[in-house]
This record gives sequence, structure tokens and C-alpha cells, in this order.
Amino acid sequence: MTTASPLLRTQGLTKRYASVTATDDLDLEVPRGRVGLVGANGAGKTTLFRMMLGLSRPTSGSLEVCGIDVHEDPIGVRSRLGYMPEHDCLPLDQTAADVVSTFGELSGLPARAARQRASDVLDLVGLDEARFRPIGGFSTGMRQRAKLAQALVADPELVLLDEPTAGLDPLGRGEMLALVARLGTFGISVLLATHLLDDVQQVCDHVVMLDGGRLVVSGGTGSLLERTGLLTVDVGPNREDLLAVLADEGLTASVINGVVEVQIHGDESLDVVRDVVARLGLPLHRMTSRLTSLDEVFVDRAGSGAPS
Amino acid sequence: MTTAVGPGGGGIGGVGAIYDRGYRPYDGEHGGRSAARLALYRASIRRALGLRRSWRQKTAPFVLLGIAVIPAIVNVGAKYLTRDTVASDIEFFTYREYIGVSNALLVFVALTAPDLMCPDRRQRVLPLLFSRPLRGSDYVLAKVGAMFTILFTFSFLPQVVLFVGQMLVTEDGSLTYAQDNAELVWQVPLAVTALAGFYSTVGIAVASLTGRRITAGASIIGFFLVTSIISGSITGDPERKGYEGSLGGLVNLIDLPAVLRDLVFLGHVDEESQLSGVAGGGAWALVVYLLVVATAMAALFYRYDEVDR
Repeated sequence: MTTASPLLRTQGLTKRYASVTATDDLDLEVPRGRVGLVGANGAGKTTLFRMMLGLSRPTSGSLEVCGIDVHEDPIGVRSRLGYMPEHDCLPLDQTAADVVSTFGELSGLPARAARQRASDVLDLVGLDEARFRPIGGFSTGMRQRAKLAQALVADPELVLLDEPTAGLDPLGRGEMLALVARLGTFGISVLLATHLLDDVQQVCDHVVMLDGGRLVVSGGTGSLLERTGLLTVDVGPNREDLLAVLADEGLTASVINGVVEVQIHGDESLDVVRDVVARLGLPLHRMTSRLTSLDEVFVDRAGSGAPS
Repeated sequence: MTTAVGPGGGGIGGVGAIYDRGYRPYDGEHGGRSAARLALYRASIRRALGLRRSWRQKTAPFVLLGIAVIPAIVNVGAKYLTRDTVASDIEFFTYREYIGVSNALLVFVALTAPDLMCPDRRQRVLPLLFSRPLRGSDYVLAKVGAMFTILFTFSFLPQVVLFVGQMLVTEDGSLTYAQDNAELVWQVPLAVTALAGFYSTVGIAVASLTGRRITAGASIIGFFLVTSIISGSITGDPERKGYEGSLGGLVNLIDLPAVLRDLVFLGHVDEESQLSGVAGGGAWALVVYLLVVATAMAALFYRYDEVDR
């Protein structure tokens, strides 16, 4: 195992339950970094996590995590991983400090080091002042942070985060995503399972999309968010004037969500739009190429049925 | 990474400062599976004793310890007060009888075993535990080991108090008392091990069947009581005239550890036992004891195999 080994490598990975195929012939090679694992409920995300932890045996195929074959050395894999499940999973009658330090010891840290690390990671996730309160009295956001803290306490190579923003209000969601984004800067790889494509788009450098247990697409976030051939132009309220002149210039344009979207054909079109805006004396608030969203990528690729 | 940013970028010399302590990687010792198992064992003992928990959780174990030790203190005190009198020869109970406070232990097991097992299942802590370098068998060994340790300690400690106390107050001298009772050095630990081993394995196994503490506690007491009732209905009253013993006594799981205790101390089944008079009753009791313990452990290993089947 080296740090150069991929985060996750699967070959023909299949897991069948009695009436459901959770993952179907999955071939993947995912680099280290912040990776989003995206799919609707039942897409196979949690099953893939369970197989990565060695808690679920694949029906067929192979699976390597951080260069270690999970079937051959599940304990070795678990020693390098932190796991944050989607559901509530912490003892409610113990304080956050006790719970996190106990999980540190369970990950193999000496008692004293575990207490110190618990203090550090609770501070990191913003629970430093609540560390001596029982978890039963925590809000949903605080419980999510405590769950993240226990996943980080043993300084893992990789953390598996299963729907970390579930149940959080917009502010809490933003804070949780900011925390997840910071993990990458600490040298900790992240595998973020979610059905919220926005979350992935905000914090991940690589995306794996699953649908019904099958691979839809795996690739760098940047490369998936391709240009659409549309130019978004925000000129404030005088949109109709702009639309009329652009039509005279032979460009197709329409107003969508309060901004003008122009179908462009090369750099010449950009020049035309710029000149028209200047000629009309309109305030140009924004002019950008519109990128696809991950939602569009998902709908497009899942609809075509071919993994890429 | 530690940074300090003051107002207007003035650094830590300004009026106030915001510290981002960042994240410190851990490069110290990282134990493996055995360290994780030991950590779970220690955490389970702390939980069972109510340590790092509210005073209510501490009540049950320490009240039981008091109940277990007080008779030994009273016995030793009475010996001391009646020394140099004819009453000094009176024995309130023997070491063998003192191991028979099993009903109090049974209540303790019914309170503690569910507390060790049920929250992990009910609060869904198990997936988190098994995301650590632990196998299902490690979980079982840690939980049974913790229960065993506490039961052994709570049964053995009063015996030590009794033995040391008797040594100190005896008229014949401490050394003579120790020499006269040397066999206790192996009899007491062995009998206490049999008792603690039985109650810890069966108690933990029954508690593992449900996520509700109250259901688990009632099930533990009910399970033992039912075996006692069934056994009693098979054998009848063993103190009645002409009772010749019955293998039905083997079904009585409350008394089974006491039969083992009698084998250790007396070398045979006690006359008051339901098995008294049964040919090979002691050997049968040992076989049933081992079968029950093995079945309980097998059920636990099966139930806590951490891998989906």
C-alpha cells in the first residue's frame, strides 16, 4: 500500500440480496481527494460503504480500498478509515468527549492520546464548548458534528461520509460542507455519499454517479461540468431590448430565471453580444458561459444507460 | 497548522485575535485489533459500573457490592467481638455458602447485561463499532469478559474480606488459620469463576436478543425462573421423605452454578440438591454447564458476526 494507490478500485463488484441487486458489475478506479458518491436512495451507496468496511461480502468481484484488498484484510482497511453513518449512531447518555475518545481508543489509540485527539477534533468541528454535555441533549447539527468528530479522531487516511448534511438547516448544511471541504486540505481523503448533487458540486473534485447499483459516470467534477453553448447575460430589467437587438443580429436568445441566455457559435458571437450591450448602454452585471449542472449530467447519462 | 489573524491583519499583537488551530495529524502509536478489543472491554466495564455516567447508573453496582461485602464484615466483626468467649466458635456461614448469594447476582446480571448490550443495538452504535478494527468475536469477548470480570470481582472480593478478616481475628494466629484453610486458595477462585462464567455468558446471550433493556432484564430473570419451575415440576420436593434424586435437576439453571460450587468444595453433589442421589449427578451437571455456556457463546458469535450473510 502506498499513498499513490487509488482510493477505491473495484472490478466487477456485485452485491445481490434476495430480491435486490445493490451493486451491479461495478468497475471503478477513484483517485484520492474529495470524491462524491452520488445517486438516488437505493442506488447502492450505503451498500458500497458497507463493502468497503468489510461489513458486507460482495456476491462477486473484487474491492480495494487505499490499495488494500478488503476481503483479504478487512481489519487493515478499517484501521485506515473513519466512518460517519447517515443515521443517529452515538450513545445518547455519554458526553461528546467520552464518546469521541472511546472511539479513538477503539481505533487503536492509547487512552491518553485518544483524549487529546478527542479534544482537538471536537474543537475542529465546533463542539469545543459542548464537549462535556451528553449527546442526548444535542441538536441535529451538533450530533452530525459529533459523528464527524468520531470519524476523524484516529486521523484516518479516508473518511466515509454518508449523507452528512441530512436533516441540517441551510446554515448547518453550509457549515458542514465547509468542514468537509477543509478535510482535503488536511490530507484526508473524503468519500461523500449523498443524493444532493449541489453538495458534491461544492466540495468534491471527483464524482461517481450510481443509479440502481450501476455506474452512471465517474470523472473529475470540472470535466463533467462542460460548457453548454449558452451564454448567460445579466443586464438587469432591460432584457427585452437586448433580446430584440440580438434577434436582429441573428442570435437566438431567451429569458430564463431573470437572465438572458444566448445561443452562441464561437468567439464571434461573444463579440456581438458585448457590442450590442455596449451600444444599448445596458449595465452588464454578469456575462458567463453557462455550465451544465451535475443534475443535468446525471439525468443525461442515466438516461443514456451507458457508463462512462 | 496554527495561524493567528488580528484585526486588520495586525497579528496577535492587536486588540483581539482569531485562532484557527486547524488540524494536527496524529503520528503516534496505532494499536491493532487487540488494542481495540481491550478498549471495548474497558469501555464496557466503565459502563457496567456507571463510571463517567450519572450517579443513578452507579447505584446498582455499588449497592450490590455493598450487599455482597456486608455479611463478610458482619461475620468478621462478630468474631472479633466474641473472641475469648464460647460464642466465638459460631459460624454464620461457610465460604461455600457465601458463594451462594446467586439471587442477588442474578438481579445484578438482569440490570447490567442489558445495559451493556441493548443500547448498542437500539441506538445503532454497532455499525460504528464494527467500522473499527474489530471483529464480531472481539465484540462478544469484550462484552462477556467485562460482565465476567465484574461478577468475578463482586463475588471474590467478599471472600477475600472474609478470609483476611478471619485471619486477623482468629485466636489461633493468622498463619495457622491460613495453613488450616489453604485449600480455599484454589477452591474459592474456581467456584467463583464457575458462577461468574455461567451468569455472564447466559446473561449477555439473553440480553443480545432484544434492543429494549427492560425486556432483556425481564427475559433474563424469567429464563432462569422458568428453568427452576420446570425442574421443580419434574423432580418434586427434594426434601421430601424417600426422594432419590432426579436428572430433572439438571434443568434448573439457577442452581447449576451452585452444584458446580459444591463439586469444588465438597467433591460431590450436596445432599440438599435436586441431583442428590443421582448416579454421576456431578458429572452430568458439569456436562450441562459446559453445554449451556458453549451454546450461549455460539449464539453470541453467530449473532454478532459483523459481516452480512
